[in-house]
Amino acid sequence: MAPRKTTNDGQNPSEKDRTNHLLSDPITRRTFLRNGTTGFLSFLSAVAIADLLDFITFPDGTEIVLAKAAVLADKSVCSGCRTCEAVCSNFNSEGRNAAALARVILDKEYVRGDYQPRVCFQCLDPVCLRACPVTALQVDKQSGTYARVIDERVCIGCQKCLKACDQVFVLPRPRFDADENITIKCHLCFGDPQCVKYCPTGALRLERSEKGLRIGYPIVEGV
Amino acid sequence: MKSYGWAGKILRVDLTQGKTYVIPTWDHVPKFIGGRGLGAKICWDEVPPEVGAFDPENRLVFATGPLQGTLAPTSGRFMVMGKAPQTAPMESYCRSGVGGHWGPELKWAGYDAIIIQGRSPKPVYLWINDGAVELLDATRLWGLDTYQTQQRIWEIHGRNARVMTIGPAGEKKSRIAIILSDTGDASGQGGFGGVMGSKNLKAIVLRGTGHVQVARPKQLMEVVQYVNKLFTRKSANGDPFTPEEPGFKYNIWGGGYGRGSLGEAPGELLDLMNDPSSGYSRVLDGCFACPVICRAHVKGPDIVNGVAFCAQAYMYMESTVYDYEKGYSKVTWQAAKMADLFGINAYDVMAIIPWLDDCYRDDILTEDDTGLPLDEIGSQRFIYELLRRMAHREGFGNLLAEGGQRAAMKIGGEAQKRMEMYYTRAGRFGGYREHWGYLGGFPTGHALSYLALLWAVDNRDVFSSHNLMSQLWGAAFTIGQDARTAIPEDLTPILKPVMKYAYGSERAAEFITEDGKGLNWDWAARVVKRHQERTLLKDSYTVCDIPFPFIFNANTKDHVGDTSIESKLYSAVTGIDMSEEDSYKRGDMLSTLERAIACRDGRTRDDDVLFEKYYTNLDAAGRKYNREDLERAKDEFYQLCGWDAATGIPTRNKLEKVDLKEVADDLQNRGILAK
Repeated sequence: MAPRKTTNDGQNPSEKDRTNHLLSDPITRRTFLRNGTTGFLSFLSAVAIADLLDFITFPDGTEIVLAKAAVLADKSVCSGCRTCEAVCSNFNSEGRNAAALARVILDKEYVRGDYQPRVCFQCLDPVCLRACPVTALQVDKQSGTYARVIDERVCIGCQKCLKACDQVFVLPRPRFDADENITIKCHLCFGDPQCVKYCPTGALRLERSEKGLRIGYPIVEGV
Repeated sequence: MKSYGWAGKILRVDLTQGKTYVIPTWDHVPKFIGGRGLGAKICWDEVPPEVGAFDPENRLVFATGPLQGTLAPTSGRFMVMGKAPQTAPMESYCRSGVGGHWGPELKWAGYDAIIIQGRSPKPVYLWINDGAVELLDATRLWGLDTYQTQQRIWEIHGRNARVMTIGPAGEKKSRIAIILSDTGDASGQGGFGGVMGSKNLKAIVLRGTGHVQVARPKQLMEVVQYVNKLFTRKSANGDPFTPEEPGFKYNIWGGGYGRGSLGEAPGELLDLMNDPSSGYSRVLDGCFACPVICRAHVKGPDIVNGVAFCAQAYMYMESTVYDYEKGYSKVTWQAAKMADLFGINAYDVMAIIPWLDDCYRDDILTEDDTGLPLDEIGSQRFIYELLRRMAHREGFGNLLAEGGQRAAMKIGGEAQKRMEMYYTRAGRFGGYREHWGYLGGFPTGHALSYLALLWAVDNRDVFSSHNLMSQLWGAAFTIGQDARTAIPEDLTPILKPVMKYAYGSERAAEFITEDGKGLNWDWAARVVKRHQERTLLKDSYTVCDIPFPFIFNANTKDHVGDTSIESKLYSAVTGIDMSEEDSYKRGDMLSTLERAIACRDGRTRDDDVLFEKYYTNLDAAGRKYNREDLERAKDEFYQLCGWDAATGIPTRNKLEKVDLKEVADDLQNRGILAK
C-alpha cells in the first residue's frame, strides 16, 4: 500500500470521508480519539487544563505532559513465555496473533537464560512523538493515562518514530505493521494493559502516578 | 476465503531432488484438525509398511495445529511423526511432542506443517524465512553438537531464528537420537533424530514475522483468562518460585512455576542455585504462551546452561548414590546436558544405565565385554564414556545406540531378561522405557488397572499422559501425601466426584476391589477409551499434556476439573463451533486412524501385552496385574472402540462410520481387515 498523502498541516486530505466514517461507526479502537486529542493544538490545551500535572518544556518552547501510567517489567520473575506478545497482538490487531505485531517485545537469549521484556516507558521526553512528521503521535488524554499513542488514521507509516526510538533504546518499541502500512505502539490498552493482566508470573505491572511519571528517555536509556 | 487458525499451507521438502513444494492444508483440515491427527493422515497416505525408518521414502512430519502461534495456553507445542526407528523390534509409526518456541515460529513463517522426504546427497539444513525456503549447505555444521550448531546458525541468521537440530547421535542414525530446539525442547521418543540424520538434514531453521488470524479474539481472551486463573497466581514480590496467594495449590505434578522436578532434587546443585553469591542460579522458563511454567532455566559458570525437566532430574540418579554426600550434584546435571549436546534421548539412557548396572552385578556383562568402566557407574567418567560411545557408535556404544531394548535383544539370554524390568510392552511394538506402568513408578509403586491397559494399547510409552497422572498426584498432594508414595485407596474418596465428571461414574475412582486384594478392572476400558480420545485431541489442537485435559482442580471443594477447555479454544481460534461431545467423536476417529496405521505395520491384539514381570511381580501393596483381567479389559476396550475383539484391528463398519473409507479399502487390499 502506498503511503497516504498528507497536507502541510498534517491532516488527512479526505476530511469528509473520515468524518462520515466516524459518524457511521460505533466507537472502535480506531476512533477512540474522536473526542480527544486529534492534533498538536488540542494536545497543548490538554496541558493547560491539567495544571496539576507535571510537564516538561523543550528548548523550543513546546511542552509535553508526563504520562500518568506506564508498564514496567521485573525481569527476575519473567519466564520468557511470550504471553504478553500474543495477548497484545490479539487484542490490538483484530485477532492477528503474532510476535511481530506486539507492542511489547520479549527479548530472549535462550542459552544464557536471559529473558527481558522490552516495554514502552511512555518517556518523559518522547523522542517518537517529537519525530512524527504528521503529529500522528499524540498524548492520550481521554483514557487518563496520558500515554504516547499513535492515531492510526493520521499515521503515514514513515517509521520515523521507530527509528527515533531505536536511537535511544536497544529495540525500538514502535513496530511497523506492513499489512496496514502503519506504525503501531503501546497505548496502555486505554488504561488497562492486557499484557499486565495476562502475564502468568506477574513480571509486568502497571505503574501509576497522578503527578506523572518521570521515566524513560532521557532518564533511562539503552534498555 | 479468510483462513482462521491454520496457515493454510504445508511445505513438502524433497531432499533427493533438492526441491520444495507447497500443498494446501485444506485437503486434510478441519477433518484431521492438525498436529498428531494431520501427521497421522499424512503418514497413512505416504508411509506404507514396506518403508523402513531409515529409508529415503520415510517421511518426517513436523505438524502444528490450529492453535499454534496464538494466545491459546500452551500453544508452543507441536508434533513430530513418521516411521519410528525406536519402536522395537518392528519399526512402526510413532509420534513425539515438542514444546518451546519453534511451533509458533513455523506458523508465523506461513506453514502448518513440514513434510521431509528423500535423502540429500550431502549434509544440508533447511532455512525458512517468512515463507521463502532454501536448502543450504551444512557440511561445516556436520559433527557439531546441538548447542554449537544452533549458535553457528544464530550467527548466520540472527538469534531470532528458531532451530530444530540433531547432534552427532542423530548423524550416526542412532535409534534413540533426538531433535533439539533451544536448550532442551526436544522430540525424544521415537528416535526421529536418527531419521533426520539418515536424510542428511542437520537442522530446520525458521524465522517468521507473519501472523495467525484468530476468528474470535475476544472469546479467545476470555477462555485464556479463565485458564490462567486455574493454573497460576501471580508472585509479584519475593521469591518467584513461590506463589503469592496463600493457600493456592498447584494441580499438576512438579507444581508448576519453574520448580519442575529439579526443585525436589536436594543436593549440591540446588544449594548452589539458592546461594546468590555462588554464580549459579535458576530462572523461570516457559514455553510459548504457557501459564503453567513447569520448568526452570539453570545456569552457572562451569555447567551447561539449559532448561530443567524431569529428564534432567532423573537421567543420572546413580550419581547421587555414587557420591551420596553431594546428592543431586553438578555431575548429575552435566550428564543430562551431555546427552542433550550429543543428541541422545535421556529417557532411554535412564533405562540403559540401570540395565547395565544389573547386568554387571550379575556378571552377565563385564568391563572387558563392554569397554565401559562399569565399576564406576555414577561417576562422571562413566557417563562421559557411555554417552560418547553411544553418540559416535564406538565399540559397545554401537550396540547401545540401537536403544536399550534392541541392544538387550541382540545380546539375548539373561541380559534380555534383565531388560524386561525397564521396558513395559512386550510383543513386536515395544522399545519404550517404563513410564507410569505403576502409580509412583516401577517396581515399588501401586498397580492400577488402567495404567496397564493404557500401556498395552498405546503405540508409544504413556509418557504423554501427564494429565492422567496429574489427577492422581494432584489428589495425593491435596490429602498431604507425596506423589511418589501415594496410596490409591486413600485417593478414592477425593477422586469420586472427579471421576464421575470425567469418566461418567464414581466407580471409576475405586481402584481396588472391596476386599483390598485385587485391582478393580471394571472401568479400565472406559477410562482408557475416553483418555485416548482426549489425548489424541489435545495433541491435534495442539496443546500440552501437562495441563490438558484439565481433570483435577486442587483449588475447589469438589475438585472437579473442566474438560471443555480445549474445544472452546479450538472454536474461538478457528470460528468452527465444536462442542465437547463432537470433539470426542473426532478423537475416536483419530484413534481409529492411528490404530489402522499400527495394524497396517503388522500390529495385532497379541502385541498389546506386557512383559511377564508385570504379571508376576507384586506391587507395593502386594497386588499384581492379572493376565486374564488385562485380556478381559482389552476385549471391552476393543468393543468400545469398534475394533475386532479377536485381532484388535478396526472393522470396516467402524472405519466407514468415522468416514475413513479409504483406510478400510487399503486394509482390505492388504488382507488385514477383520471379516
